[in-house]
Amino acid sequence: MIDRRAWLPFSVVAAAMVIAWQAGVVSMRQQALVPYPVGVVEAAVRTVKDGSLLTATANSLVRVLVGFGIGALFGIPLGVVMGFVRPVGRALGPIVDSLRSIAPIAWIPMALLWLGIRGNAALFIVAYAAFFPFVINAAQGARLIDRNLVNAARALGAGRALVLRAVVLPSALPAILAGARISMAFAWGSIIAAELAMGIKVTSGTSGAVGLGQLMVSTLYVRRDVNALVLYMIVIGVISLFIDLAMRRLQRSLTPWGHS
Amino acid sequence: MNAKIEARSVSKTYVSSRTGERVEALHDVSFSLQPHEFVSIVGPSGGGKSTLLSLVAGFVAPSAGEVLEDGARITGPDPRRGVVFQDYALFPWRTVLGNVEFGPLARGASREAMRATAQRYIDLVGLAGFEQRYPHELSGGMRQRCALARLLANEPDVWLMDEPLAAVDLQTRNILQDELLRLWGDGEERTQRRAVLFVTHGIDEAVYLSDRVLVLGRRPGRIKEVVTIDLPRPRTSLRNSAAAGRHIDFIWGLIRDEATRAIVEESA
Amino acid sequence: MKDGTPTAAAPRIDVPVAITAARVLRLLEVPAALAVVVALWQVVSVAVGNKTLVPPPSLVLTAWVELVHGDLRDDVLASLAHLALGYALGAGTGLALAVLSARFAMLESIVDPFVELLRPISAIAWIPLAILMFGISAKVPVFLIFYAALFPIFVNTVAGVKQVDPQLVRAARALGASPRLILTHVVMPSALPFVLAGARLSLGVAWMAMVAAELTGSDAGLGWRLFWYQEFFAMNKVMAVILTIGVLGFLLDTLLRGLQARITRWSPDASRDDAR
Repeated sequence: MIDRRAWLPFSVVAAAMVIAWQAGVVSMRQQALVPYPVGVVEAAVRTVKDGSLLTATANSLVRVLVGFGIGALFGIPLGVVMGFVRPVGRALGPIVDSLRSIAPIAWIPMALLWLGIRGNAALFIVAYAAFFPFVINAAQGARLIDRNLVNAARALGAGRALVLRAVVLPSALPAILAGARISMAFAWGSIIAAELAMGIKVTSGTSGAVGLGQLMVSTLYVRRDVNALVLYMIVIGVISLFIDLAMRRLQRSLTPWGHS
Repeated sequence: MNAKIEARSVSKTYVSSRTGERVEALHDVSFSLQPHEFVSIVGPSGGGKSTLLSLVAGFVAPSAGEVLEDGARITGPDPRRGVVFQDYALFPWRTVLGNVEFGPLARGASREAMRATAQRYIDLVGLAGFEQRYPHELSGGMRQRCALARLLANEPDVWLMDEPLAAVDLQTRNILQDELLRLWGDGEERTQRRAVLFVTHGIDEAVYLSDRVLVLGRRPGRIKEVVTIDLPRPRTSLRNSAAAGRHIDFIWGLIRDEATRAIVEESA
Repeated sequence: MKDGTPTAAAPRIDVPVAITAARVLRLLEVPAALAVVVALWQVVSVAVGNKTLVPPPSLVLTAWVELVHGDLRDDVLASLAHLALGYALGAGTGLALAVLSARFAMLESIVDPFVELLRPISAIAWIPLAILMFGISAKVPVFLIFYAALFPIFVNTVAGVKQVDPQLVRAARALGASPRLILTHVVMPSALPFVLAGARLSLGVAWMAMVAAELTGSDAGLGWRLFWYQEFFAMNKVMAVILTIGVLGFLLDTLLRGLQARITRWSPDASRDDAR
């Protein structure tokens, strides 16, 4: 993270830049075309007051959480089995790898067709994006477990299913949590992308709940408010940070015995 | 004869950047290393042995006093004072040949000269045939030989060795000790030999290899005693001799108390 | 055997056969899995019955063949052009910034917080602004790719340079190396595995940014083509493009992975796949 000693020179430079930016835009009378600090703050006040920002953010976050959950639900078991049962891992590995290279939002056309516009297409994209880091990391975690623990469980009479549930899964937990962090980051990124794509490309019919992505598109094409755009970008960044911090906190609290 | 390396009242204090704590690694150490002699430094853990070697190598500067080479103050590392590190410090991305020819490369030798010199020393240390191997493919003993060849390829006047044989097993260590003596010129004329400063934990090793042994005390590191090993050369038949045993007992007696205390303190 | 009874020679011959059989089975695992997936796909397609909703594999294949002889070439070239330019700019800038920050501490204390602050704002978030700045054109994907590729390379290069073993630097100094030689012959080779890991990560995010950017903000490339076919509801062609995107991305990553493995041949754990 940021070095403590760097705060002073950085703050000075940053503050100077912000001031210069503001002064420059005002002096050149470009307030209508170019974003500027005070304008961004004004946009913030406005969109919070009329509720659009908060509603959109909430909608996006809900989609992220649900998609994340779906991704975890399918990804973790598959990953664990792939990691623990070698032939399965070897067989499915290349397929998972190839599917992984398909950027989630490439599926939007198909998703729109299958699931319709009412936000479910976006949900599918998020779940798809969240799915893979879980698979990869759970597989890695399951692959690297201490076989002695497995043998100990077997010697105590545990069947395959119990071994998977009670030994492999907990052992792979640190790796799974690491995967969860990445999944969350991907999920947040994909929801914005999906909402943007839907907002730009889908011009007819009802649009379902408006998320941050769609809000950005309407601001871009309808209101042409640059300041609001910059505001939304900052909001997206801030939420990214929060998500990562929260996940890290979670990771640490769930694996007190050490994490990767 | 003028000393090759001379340390005059050298002290070294380290200040921890994190806690601000001051540790005096060496206090008022003076000694001299003659041109053709083999000197070992022994002492309990934490006694400043490696610090002393670092000072002579020129990696750190003394807090007080000075270290001289041929009468001139040492201000930094130099190929005339070659170093062999405890974990070899071989460049993992270079082959054996690549490592050994690094010294000549650094000094601007031509490609043919570089290669020829490197090959000569690789053969000398017994690594012929392994030129294209990478360090991670070699055993501990072979890495040691590679590090040695790399040192020799620069033909330094002074060999500085920081526990070079600590990481190999006992059998390999004995073999490598004999090889080191051979390369150094244990069986040759005295004037053929270079000056060696050899840090080790093994008193038996120190007695076996050296002309003199510097015994350091700890906290702060200072010279307790300089023991002259009057065993004749070549040494190969004298490994377990009674005379050697007497020296070993004597030196151990000097540091036993501190060494015992060191074990307790290090673990706390 | 000594008492005259013949020794069973059969087991000694069977072992190499057993090994070969196992190897053959291994090689078959991947194609077998692929076959299963395609078969499932066909089943689902038939079950759903709607060729637009779930185009069967055969239709997608014919569509793909058709496209290869037609528009696909241009699309692939356009996408690769976007990628090449954006990646070169982004990775180059990231590398240069990283090397300079490692060298000049003052620069690092200014650059590093900026990077940390910008990093959470993903390339995707820049799309609307980019469209506003550049209009619908090739500049949008190039800019997005540049932005996306910059961060992983920067972060990894800084980490790589910082972890150079000081013992190795000392060894080089004791062998008489000049500071310049130390930079080129010790620091850079030592940092190389990290730089390459960063390059692979950069490629991954750049590829995703490319698709997103082309889809929304350009008029050429594979991403753009996706929606073009969607408007005609030519779903088989859409699937074909999706598969092309996947395969191409996979190939590029494999290429880079091969490069990574070859260049870091000297490290015992270099080719381990931990950049996933």
